[in-house]
Amino acid sequence: MDFFHTWLPFLYLYGVGGIAFIIGMLIIIRSNALRLTFQKHLKWVWVLIFGFLFYAAIHAFLIFVAIGS
Amino acid sequence: MMNIEVGTQLDKIVILVYFSLVMGFGAYFGKYSKSTNDYFFGGRRFAWWLITISIVATGVGSHSFVKYSTKAYQYGLSSTMTYLNDWFFMPLFMFGWLPIIYYTKVRSIPEYFERRFNPTARYLATMMILLYMIGYIAIQFLTLATALYRIYGIPLMLTVVLIAIATTIYMHFGGQTSVIFTDLLQGFILIFAGLLLFFLGIQFLGNQVGINGLSAFWMNLTPLQKLPLAHFNHPPDFNFVGIFWQDGIAGSIGFLFLNQGLIMRFMAAKSVNEGRKAAAINVLFVLPISAIVVSNAGWIGRAITNVAPGILPSEMAANDVFVAVTNIVASPGVFGFIIAALCAALMSTADTLVNASSAVVVNDIYRPLSKKVKTEKQELEFARWTSIAVKVIAVILVPFFNSFDSIYEAHGWFHSTFTPPLVVGVFLGIFWKRFTSQAVIATFLGGAFLMILGQFYPQLISPFDHGIELRPDRGYSYIGALYNIFVCAAVGVIVSLFTKSDSSQKLVGLTVYDVQNLKSIFKGSDANEEVGGCPVVNWKLESNDSDELRFSSNDMKLMKANPGDLVYVQDARWWLGGLKSAHSTYGKPHSEDGVVYINSSHLEHGQFVEGLPLKAEKEM
Repeated sequence: MDFFHTWLPFLYLYGVGGIAFIIGMLIIIRSNALRLTFQKHLKWVWVLIFGFLFYAAIHAFLIFVAIGS
Repeated sequence: MMNIEVGTQLDKIVILVYFSLVMGFGAYFGKYSKSTNDYFFGGRRFAWWLITISIVATGVGSHSFVKYSTKAYQYGLSSTMTYLNDWFFMPLFMFGWLPIIYYTKVRSIPEYFERRFNPTARYLATMMILLYMIGYIAIQFLTLATALYRIYGIPLMLTVVLIAIATTIYMHFGGQTSVIFTDLLQGFILIFAGLLLFFLGIQFLGNQVGINGLSAFWMNLTPLQKLPLAHFNHPPDFNFVGIFWQDGIAGSIGFLFLNQGLIMRFMAAKSVNEGRKAAAINVLFVLPISAIVVSNAGWIGRAITNVAPGILPSEMAANDVFVAVTNIVASPGVFGFIIAALCAALMSTADTLVNASSAVVVNDIYRPLSKKVKTEKQELEFARWTSIAVKVIAVILVPFFNSFDSIYEAHGWFHSTFTPPLVVGVFLGIFWKRFTSQAVIATFLGGAFLMILGQFYPQLISPFDHGIELRPDRGYSYIGALYNIFVCAAVGVIVSLFTKSDSSQKLVGLTVYDVQNLKSIFKGSDANEEVGGCPVVNWKLESNDSDELRFSSNDMKLMKANPGDLVYVQDARWWLGGLKSAHSTYGKPHSEDGVVYINSSHLEHGQFVEGLPLKAEKEM
């Protein structure tokens, strides 16, 4: 198991995917489609960030476990 | 093809009972389709949980079980990659595209192309989307028929025709409401059946090794098979970077932004916020479960092979693993039930696509080309017959797809051929105001030309290959998606920069930059954003032709509502998920607290039950 099989796909996924995610967040905030002054919208900001970290954590955990085994 | 004895009499009966149950269930909901709006969009009334489960059934096609268990058997847990990479575009979907399609009342993706660009863009998009969806339906028919004809011994094409007739019976009468409710039932069944198969497989492994089943399963996968992501660029037919561009980028945008079936499902939600909840829960929690559901037969098969090599036939092809493992771990009757879940996957994906194709034909061909204005009844009748015609064409296309080496290949060919120009067109249309009408036409035509060129001259794709090996005579596989997206986007951007931008008046409400004003555009006046309560009230009928619901002054105060605001009422029983509900506007208040006055039109649409209360909530 080398870097090409373990952490490179992870870094690429959350690097390139992360850029798409951040650009998306910036577009909806700057266009006022998501208004940070709205309590309801603010809740969604946390959900969106949680979702990103949730998936990154699942993938990182499984890679650690596979390497460990 | 491996020769396996599949299916007992009991299995055959279970499958037949299942088909009858779904047809009856779906046909029952026909009474809720009173107009084309109900038929296609379910009347904009359903709760998030109903939408979520029905999306599962749509997303998991019958090909998913075969396709993912094959990859799971060959490569282990990395078969889940495509189910766990959809979050990146959620911000743009939830706060960009979803409010646009919901509030502008766009009835189809091609209609968006006409409003945003011009009629030519609409017709090109119509053609591409219809070809894509009807072909997809044909692939679904073929996958299920391939499994069923071996169980019943009926010729393949006759099996295809029988499946098409079965789905027609409930769809013909019920439309989107039937699709949502049958998909709810089938979503539960296919998740339950997939998890049951996993449980039985683990139990089987435990019995073989003599230890706890879960430990036996985990111990008998190699470290490589436990990795959640594939090798970066090797082998050519299953590598991380290619699949990331094909599925994580093109596939995710295509699924979220262009899948007419999915869009119609979100438009059936009672509000944009309910649509957001459905999308978030689906991607966060249901997709990981679905990944286990569709892949586990392959993982179990791999663990069985590692622990006891003789149990699965040595000559077994990888794509037979689903049927082989199910046959080994499930007893008679349970095998039939799991195959019935495969039927569930097919029927729920096919019915959504048929309904969506029918919506596109009615909205983008019939209405624009029709010289006389048609009544709702005529349009509804046409929509019903269109759904039959769509299925007939799909059945005719089945032999063409049967000529591909595998269903996987046929499916991949579809995705790579029809998705990128549409993905680029809709994405730049929503998020880049400068993207012009000429540019979208150039993207469709010029981009498609460059994509075809890439198929014939793979060296054009080489600069994008990330070190993936070029297969002699077969070209590049998944990474071609990156090249296709790049050339389509390049054509679109270059032509936009050299052509005059569309007037900003024309773009009102159609880009992400107007989302904040969409509620007012939808309502026709300023949106009332004050957060109020949701009273439960009794209803009384009054003879009144105007589309207004009348509440008491105190109830209006509780809801922080004013006359003219939009209101939604539903049967107070939450588990109906909004099936019995109606949208309207607040009328002049009265003094009878806890009572709402409705008219016969609301009653007919909402199918409210005498004596049962309604829950009211202000929309805006």
